[in-house]
Amino acid sequence: MKVSGPYSIYTYDGSIDGFFSVVFHAFQSRIPPADILSLVSNNQIPIGDIIDVTTCPRQAARVRRGIASKSDKKNLRLVQVAHLAETRQTDMLLYRYLVRLFEKPGQSYYRNMLDPLVYDLVQAARRVKKEVHRFHGFVRFQQTRDNMYVAAIDPDNNIVRLLAPHFTSRFPHRKWLIYDVRRKYGIFHDTSGLMEVKLEGHAFELDSGYIGKNARAVREDLYRELWQTYYDSVNIKERKNSRQMRAFMPKRYWKYLPEKSKK
Amino acid sequence: MRKLDILADAAKYDVSCSSSGSNRPARDGVGNTRSCGICHSYTEDGRCISLLKILYTNNCIYDCAYCINRRSNDIPRSAFTPDELAGLTMNFYNRNYIEGLFLSSGVLRSPDYTMEQLNEVARKLRNEYRFNGYIHMKAIPGADPLLVHQAGLLADRLSVNIEIPSEQQLLRLAPEKNYRSVFTPMNLISRNIAESREERKRYRKAPRFTPAGQSTQLIVGATEETDYTILRLASGLYNRQKLKRVYYSGFVPVNSHDSRLPELKQPPLVRENRLYQADWLMRFYHFRHDEILDENNPQLEQGIDPKLAYALRNPHLYPVDLDRASYEEILRVPGIGVRSARIIVANRRFGRIGFDHLKKMGVALNRAKYFIVCRELTTGIKPVVYPEQIRRKLLKSTNGAGTQLSLF
Ligand code: SF4
Repeated sequence: MKVSGPYSIYTYDGSIDGFFSVVFHAFQSRIPPADILSLVSNNQIPIGDIIDVTTCPRQAARVRRGIASKSDKKNLRLVQVAHLAETRQTDMLLYRYLVRLFEKPGQSYYRNMLDPLVYDLVQAARRVKKEVHRFHGFVRFQQTRDNMYVAAIDPDNNIVRLLAPHFTSRFPHRKWLIYDVRRKYGIFHDTSGLMEVKLEGHAFELDSGYIGKNARAVREDLYRELWQTYYDSVNIKERKNSRQMRAFMPKRYWKYLPEKSKK
Repeated sequence: MRKLDILADAAKYDVSCSSSGSNRPARDGVGNTRSCGICHSYTEDGRCISLLKILYTNNCIYDCAYCINRRSNDIPRSAFTPDELAGLTMNFYNRNYIEGLFLSSGVLRSPDYTMEQLNEVARKLRNEYRFNGYIHMKAIPGADPLLVHQAGLLADRLSVNIEIPSEQQLLRLAPEKNYRSVFTPMNLISRNIAESREERKRYRKAPRFTPAGQSTQLIVGATEETDYTILRLASGLYNRQKLKRVYYSGFVPVNSHDSRLPELKQPPLVRENRLYQADWLMRFYHFRHDEILDENNPQLEQGIDPKLAYALRNPHLYPVDLDRASYEEILRVPGIGVRSARIIVANRRFGRIGFDHLKKMGVALNRAKYFIVCRELTTGIKPVVYPEQIRRKLLKSTNGAGTQLSLF
């Protein structure tokens, strides 16, 4: 590891534990970050002094405890949810927020929405929560031959874990899988609980999200077509307003919605 | 597939999306209902698809002028069986296409018979498939109270559509219906809801009756009623019958011309939207219907939203000081929504509210600035002096965007 200059660019694996490890490292070495980059969501190679931090669950746990002890639990929740936003600046915002929290503990900063830093973080967390809410609707399961329900998603934010509670309560006695095809991991549920999984090979067709024909339940295609028929027939021509439709259901989500991606 | 096509097509004119207001956890079956609405898709016309909205049958023994299913129309007819419909609902639900079922129907043989069929679909879903998702059913006007009661024990929400906002006009357009046939089941449902609430206070296990309440629909623009009449009716329904929602549906001429109905080139979408805005003012902004309109101003303005219209008619109530005024007063500022009003009241102790904060909250400053006192506007702009000027300015700046259907 190279340490030089008063500021450095930190890189990490994109996970929340990785991020907390960065925070830990920056505090301990007293080298504040000029930038923090997730190596998963950024393809370009950063220029400058780079410190690549290896994720360490123990360090992450210490940072978590630190946050919880410096103020109340809501801060931790806010930080963790905002981190999932994965936008370019969020990590730096979070870092600045944590610096403030550790320097002047005991205050519930997150309540002060007039503070631009807090406001931006709350907004990032809202974006994440909004997308979670959207995907409660936009997940499309396919039934497999062995009676599992599987879905491919490609959301803007890293939300697949946050989808688990809703679908667990909705389908508690069923095997299901929701898989983020871009981030290449998913949540698998069966009666014994939840599990994070990584799939080998291509279980889903990347352009449609469909599973292979042989894997589908016998009537899977029938019900998908019925759904497409339904979607087409509820349209009222006289009221057409595609702009509004796209505002609610942006085009980037269409590829895995059978009603919008007919072949 | 043809069947689905016909019966979904016929149900679509009921322009509402609703699947909220009830929490039904999945205990030993499949599914739950969430108290904030989940949209699974959106139609090309921008409506939320949350429920499988479908008719049990489009056969009907009645002949309502505004309805595509009236018996005098020569159209393909079809009907489901309870098994088919319950199976279809489950398969859609399992794939997460929908939140549940919105089941309506033409009147087949008799109101009682029709209600029995609908109940059978719901019973199959609840008892055989152990479905805990959302069910919204139409109570068929004229059906036996006992059947309506059964429906209420199975469904999350019941609705009886009034359709035409005055009885006189209803009689003219739907000779087989009257207000009694609509209000009898409606009143029965609201009584049952109240009773079930009372009973559940005493025994926690007492059965729940339509936990998500009841709603109705009014067709706008098919008849002559003013917006004032419509809002007065709606306000009565909210206060007396305790309805959860009133839906307004801009009239779409679905039948070849009938001399009893107006000829419209386009459904009155702007008017429909203004009514929804006024309805929001009543439900979330603490407005009374007679503050929004009165006998002398019986129509909502098409060019500006009803809150702005109210502010311009009542300049003496403004400007509102954001650092001091009550939540209620802030709610009445054009351009400020419920969420922003809450943020303002909760955060002003941290400092003076300024334009930058308001912008970030999403407040429409172009409207709000005429009606507030804040950091930058220490004395406010006096709308008392200039209501007409403000109106002209705002009309100009929103020109063209006026037909877009957003709320405030
Ligand atoms: S009773 Fe209902 S379905 Fe039958 S014609 Fe009248 S509105 Fe249409």
